[in-house]
Amino acid sequence: MTNIAIANPLREPKETFRRYAIFGVCAIIVLAVGKDIIIDETDWERMGTLQEMLKTALFFVPEWSFFPKTVGPLLETLLIAIWGTLLAVVVSLPIAYLAARNITPMPWITYPLGRGLIILSRSTHEIIFALIYVSALGLGPLPGILALATRSLGFLAKTTAEAIENANPGPIEAMEAAGANRLMVFCYGVIPQIFPIFVGNVIFQLDINIRRASILGLVGGGGIGLMFAEVMQNLHYGRAGMIVVGITFMVIVGEFISNRIRERLI
Amino acid sequence: MKDNVKLAYDGYRSDEMRAGLWKFVGLLILIAFAFWTIDVLKIPIERVLGMFGRLGTMISERLLPPEMAFATEPRVVDSIVETIEMSILGAVIGTLITMPLAWFAAWNVTPSRAILYPLSRAIIVVTRGMPTLMWAMVLVAIFGFGPFAGMLALVKATIGFAGKLMAEQIEAIDMKRVEAIRATGANELDVLFYGVIPQVWANWVGIIIYNWDAQLRNSTILGFVGAGGMGLYLREQISIIEYQTAMAIIVVIIVMVVISETASHYLRHRLY
Repeated sequence: MTNIAIANPLREPKETFRRYAIFGVCAIIVLAVGKDIIIDETDWERMGTLQEMLKTALFFVPEWSFFPKTVGPLLETLLIAIWGTLLAVVVSLPIAYLAARNITPMPWITYPLGRGLIILSRSTHEIIFALIYVSALGLGPLPGILALATRSLGFLAKTTAEAIENANPGPIEAMEAAGANRLMVFCYGVIPQIFPIFVGNVIFQLDINIRRASILGLVGGGGIGLMFAEVMQNLHYGRAGMIVVGITFMVIVGEFISNRIRERLI
Repeated sequence: MKDNVKLAYDGYRSDEMRAGLWKFVGLLILIAFAFWTIDVLKIPIERVLGMFGRLGTMISERLLPPEMAFATEPRVVDSIVETIEMSILGAVIGTLITMPLAWFAAWNVTPSRAILYPLSRAIIVVTRGMPTLMWAMVLVAIFGFGPFAGMLALVKATIGFAGKLMAEQIEAIDMKRVEAIRATGANELDVLFYGVIPQVWANWVGIIIYNWDAQLRNSTILGFVGAGGMGLYLREQISIIEYQTAMAIIVVIIVMVVISETASHYLRHRLY
């Protein structure tokens, strides 16, 4: 019955078996994990009935009269995000210089160094950086700014290094032929080429940093997170709901503006 | 002739000067903004000056070397496994919710532009805007401590993160194939299964893997607010000022994230 002229290579028995095997293994893993988390690790008795949960959830209905008090911390959060991004911009350029394969000064030493810093910065959550900075510098917005800067310089340096690697070598060679040194080549041959991409990425990071800045206060990094932690501890759930609404609104507006600016840049 | 050259040169000079002036004004504004920020945030200047020395001593004396023995204690290993399980389950359930949502939120093929499109867009935008850690705290207050609240937080994070990307993929598809299927009298569901999904599936799988990677990153710190996973021990060790054991957890987190990032990068590149 199956004498079809052109056999579909994706429907060969071996290939089909391989696909179903992968699918089955994935399904078994997910089911096992689901059983572990939802049935074994969760204390359904203590969680109470659906009605009780709903009652708790209703406590979070925003208390609108609390809004005026959240404006100050929200502004603080915005400032932390802006300064964190600006610091990251300043620090990311030299790191991008080290981590771009075509212009790095000593490929055997500085390239792995730059890449390592980028990986470290990108793979560590901002909360962890904030914890380290808070324990060294004390509470307040300063460790928050530093944590954000450390966190977002990885992304900026990585994208900038990639842009440098893709840059047109013509102007760079021309400058070298004219006798420019490394720094001059970087400043006048490379930076003008990568500038639009860089600005787009900075705006993107600013947008993300607003989001990140809002939770830094949970570990003492300043901003609205501090207020959120306080009201949660005092069980003012209505106020907590208000803060969440405020942050969400600010982040959405920030994302909208950043998207508009980046659309115009590219 | 000579006048023209002079004119052009003057024009160039004045352009240069104008650009220089703008740069100067920009710098002044930046400095004023910096002072205003220092004033508003009450940043202690004297602390900024001695900052690097203190950070250096802090890192060299109290954070290093990490006490890796702590990370091999059974309770910590359990919590690490729990973190990974939470990320998998959150990502899977989140993806299952996100897929129909992305379909509703794609302007070109959405089944109803009047109701479902704005609704699903709003869900995606709001879940994107809400910080996951705060959402986790709210969920912990409702559902109690443990990985269940963390998993729900990750579901929320997935909807915001993958929802936007998946809907963007659908909006970029070739509409001719959709129209061809519609011309045969197919209903919306047929259009989805035979016109849309075959075009976006490869990209979607990439997004799903990438999203799992992002959720693993999120899940490592969810325990910080009691939502399950290894973040709990991070918080515990920091609050009893055992920085070296806390550092061990941080090292584990970094290693885990780097491994998952490499794996997801490898898988995504093998797909295409």
